[in-house]
Amino acid sequence: MKPVVDRLKQEYDGKVEFRIYDVDKSSEGQELMRRYGAQYVPTFVFVNSDGAEVNRAVGEVSEDEMRRLLDSLE
Amino acid sequence: MDLRKVLIWGGVAFVVIIGAVLLMRPAGGGVQDVSPARANELVAEGVRVIDVRTPGEYELSHIPGAENVPMDSLGSVASEWDRSEPLLIYCTTGARSAQAVTYLEAQGFETIYHLAAGIIAWDGDLERGSEIVPMPADVTPGAAPVMYEFSTDW
Repeated sequence: MKPVVDRLKQEYDGKVEFRIYDVDKSSEGQELMRRYGAQYVPTFVFVNSDGAEVNRAVGEVSEDEMRRLLDSLE
Repeated sequence: MDLRKVLIWGGVAFVVIIGAVLLMRPAGGGVQDVSPARANELVAEGVRVIDVRTPGEYELSHIPGAENVPMDSLGSVASEWDRSEPLLIYCTTGARSAQAVTYLEAQGFETIYHLAAGIIAWDGDLERGSEIVPMPADVTPGAAPVMYEFSTDW
């Protein structure tokens, strides 16, 4: 997943903020996972600028699906 | 003895050997992929449950009573275990646990249940770690939409 996410992070720079957490190393990441009720890794949570979660994906996500989810953000 | 008799007796011997091998296996033994529902029954029966994910993943949530034995320590930890004790193995999606099952089978563990669909498919109760982590300061929404990725380096 990392190459896909890295590529999309560059492509969506300025449009979507990517916050990436290694939950083994980041207590902040662990707390955010709890906050969002995520239980498994990898989990991707898509949040609009007003703070509303609009989508989430668990496990391997294709690049096309990831683009669709990112494009749905407002 | 002609070739036909050799083939017949060879076939009989093959069937007898396979039958003997199967009869020597413990009831319910070997490796069995199990559904979440069957895994739930096994947990209720008290089968030893092994979570081969990382400590961070385990901390977030795990099957009640599961022991956390990450893949990188499985070899050393499992060497102390009773090989006749049934085990239920799982990870997130079944990928890492499949490797663990292959390893444990090669090490002589007799009865291994594999939650092949992973904890993602688990619909029973879950336990969480008791550690309380302060709420981070920067979780407020920004000016732009946000994609959070929660992952681990495995």
